Amino acid sequence: VAGREAPERSVTRGGDPTRAALDEKVLTWMREPSWSRDDARFDALARELFAFQYERCDAYRRYCGARGRSPATVREWRDIPAVPAGSFKEVALRCFPEELERATFRTSGTSTTRRGELHLDTLALYEASLLPTIRRFLFPDLAADERMRVLVLAPAARALPDSSLSHMFACTLEAVGTRDSAFFVEAGPDGGTLLVDALVAALHDAARAGAPMALCGTAFAFVHLLEVMEAANETRLLPAGTRIMETGGFKGRRRELPRDELYTWIGRRLGVPSTQIVNQYGMTELGSQFYDSVLVEPGGPRRKLGPPWARVRLVDPLTGADAAPGAPGVITIHDLANTGSVAAVATADLGVLVEGVLVEGGLLEPGFEVLGREPGAEERGCSIAADVMLA
Amino acid sequence: VTSSPDSVRQARKRLAAAATALRNRSRARTVDSLAALLDAWREPASPWQRRLVDALPAATGFSPENVAAGLARGLAPWTGDALRRLVEAELGGLGGRSLAFGFEQTSVMLAGSIPMPTLLSLIAPLLLHSPVLARSSARDSVTAGVFHESLRVVDPELADCLEVVSFASGDAGCVQAFLEADCVVATGSDETVAALRSGARASARFVGYGHRLSIAVLGPGALARNRLSEVAAQLALDVALWDQQGCLSPVAVYCAASEPGEKHAPDRLAEALAGALQSIEAQLPLGRLSTEAAAAVRRERDQAVLRRAAGASIEIHGEDALRFTVVREPDASWRPSPLHRFVRVHPLEAGALASALSPIARHLAGVAVAGFGDRAGVARELAGVGASRICAPGSLQVPPLDWHHDGMPVLLPLARVADVEMP
Repeated sequence: VAGREAPERSVTRGGDPTRAALDEKVLTWMREPSWSRDDARFDALARELFAFQYERCDAYRRYCGARGRSPATVREWRDIPAVPAGSFKEVALRCFPEELERATFRTSGTSTTRRGELHLDTLALYEASLLPTIRRFLFPDLAADERMRVLVLAPAARALPDSSLSHMFACTLEAVGTRDSAFFVEAGPDGGTLLVDALVAALHDAARAGAPMALCGTAFAFVHLLEVMEAANETRLLPAGTRIMETGGFKGRRRELPRDELYTWIGRRLGVPSTQIVNQYGMTELGSQFYDSVLVEPGGPRRKLGPPWARVRLVDPLTGADAAPGAPGVITIHDLANTGSVAAVATADLGVLVEGVLVEGGLLEPGFEVLGREPGAEERGCSIAADVMLA
Repeated sequence: VTSSPDSVRQARKRLAAAATALRNRSRARTVDSLAALLDAWREPASPWQRRLVDALPAATGFSPENVAAGLARGLAPWTGDALRRLVEAELGGLGGRSLAFGFEQTSVMLAGSIPMPTLLSLIAPLLLHSPVLARSSARDSVTAGVFHESLRVVDPELADCLEVVSFASGDAGCVQAFLEADCVVATGSDETVAALRSGARASARFVGYGHRLSIAVLGPGALARNRLSEVAAQLALDVALWDQQGCLSPVAVYCAASEPGEKHAPDRLAEALAGALQSIEAQLPLGRLSTEAAAAVRRERDQAVLRRAAGASIEIHGEDALRFTVVREPDASWRPSPLHRFVRVHPLEAGALASALSPIARHLAGVAVAGFGDRAGVARELAGVGASRICAPGSLQVPPLDWHHDGMPVLLPLARVADVEMP
């Protein structure tokens, strides 16, 4: 079992004063102790960042030009052209000189598939964004100086330095994890190897110790754990207050499992109710992440929420305008944490808006829900769609 | 109506009972019935075509014009006589020494939204006197039922040998009951086919049709200025019929290097193809685009725009409403298509055909070929790569009844053949 690791910390911006000023403004927002959804502040920063990225990234400037957009024509952040997430597989989207690159996060993939790359000259924004966000959505009950045991079903960052997910977990362990927190996946091909025996022993330990903990990892690692426990007819009812964070889809995996079935299964084998299970929606290409609202707003509708410096639009692919209320749209994220690359990214996922609801004490903010594949998508017949065969 | 595991088993029981009537029936009578049925379907005023034209647009999203044209063109060569020739070619060729029988029951997992393959996969086991349990496609709940009705009009006894059920592909109980047959035919993604294969009985005959795609390969003769618009119009028809939802729909066009100084041939073809797709929209409008499909098209288009912005030599044709897209690629490297009338045009260096096609070789179905002096040589090369059909542009969507789909005969894979060796 790999031990805890301290994430690398550094701020390098190669003496670019515009960028340094932008980073400082975004970091200031990220460091504020309380969050507020400030439309004017977001819009001003987004447009300022767009002007910077338009100037520094040639490919992005020409892309915007082809879409008839420039800082002169963009009136609000919603007008800023988003690049498809797949672009990160094709083009190095950087707003800094290549020699200043300090880290590259890559999407998962094999040697025969192209991998998306997020190029970073600093990890400062990445970390400043992820920590308050995961604290708010996964550890809302933890005081600033409190810690909790975190068991991670993903490889350690040292073993997989280009995995943003592993880096995120490393930061989380450092910030909130107790000394007995650990990683339980050995890096390797096809997602690595889950160290099942060690993990089940740790769960046994935790169940006896009685202190709540956090179990974090990829959805398919959880499936693997549950399959092993099922086969051995093992149950480890984890202490009350334990929370689970799962992330990632099942694409290309042997087994696809609807989320509600996964949660029921977790409840049966680990004793963690679905109200304590949080799905994280994040991607290598983005510095910020989104989480289910269940822990931060118990009783409210399950929906994805993120930090105020990352905004989501659901876009009608036919018109490019916002999807009609209740209609599905392409989840398009505008993330101010992406200062060194491109802030506006259109994902490959569809989502729907979940309206804010009125509760005692005020209006809960709206969020979104990620939609699965269209029913019958696997029954396309004999034609091959793009997602079936990846070049 | 969604079937339950019980109702699937009951359907199998009814088929077993109906099969007794087939034992004393001559194959000639069955062939006559099915030949008459095909001829009835082919009639320009056929009520069966009409039924599909009325019902398929809502069920599948195709425009009514596209369904009407696809059926009329697709059924044209599927005559009763063509059916007789197919039976004679595949079964008659066995000679007096061998006897071909159908299996006790054939379970056919239908997939996709195009009616033509559905019709043939229901006819083929019946020709061998094997009763058919068909699971209708999630993307076309209509065709199997209409076929069943038409069969009842022509031959009620044979119609009793067909049962159509409907269940979700994830319904394990129904899938298991469905796979209890001694012959299983499945169409779908490689993963779907593999899963069904592993669920079928070890002793059962399993015939799987995996995912396929088609392309066009054009030589200098087709790219010459005087031929270009004609070839482009033919390819536009291949693309537009069934909105690229079939395995015979071309998704990429490879333009072989021509005379020196003609390196702009792919550009001209892309432009001509875009023009042809634009004008064919009036006769064969693109069908309904789901949000998912539109998102995939938009994504691939935007990605092409970004690749171009990053310096790649790419030209993009298409209008804002996503009715069609043509991307002239910088090289022969394969890239997938999001379908729904999205075509890539690639330049092809001399002698580079096999290497360009190697990423898609195992998925290759049809290739439309034009403009080569040595047509036989090109055909041999394409067949060697893995194509199962090589034809002229404009005819990809009109396969003959005896096309070796996935490189297999139509009837023989569904037959038990017994060799009789007696003096």
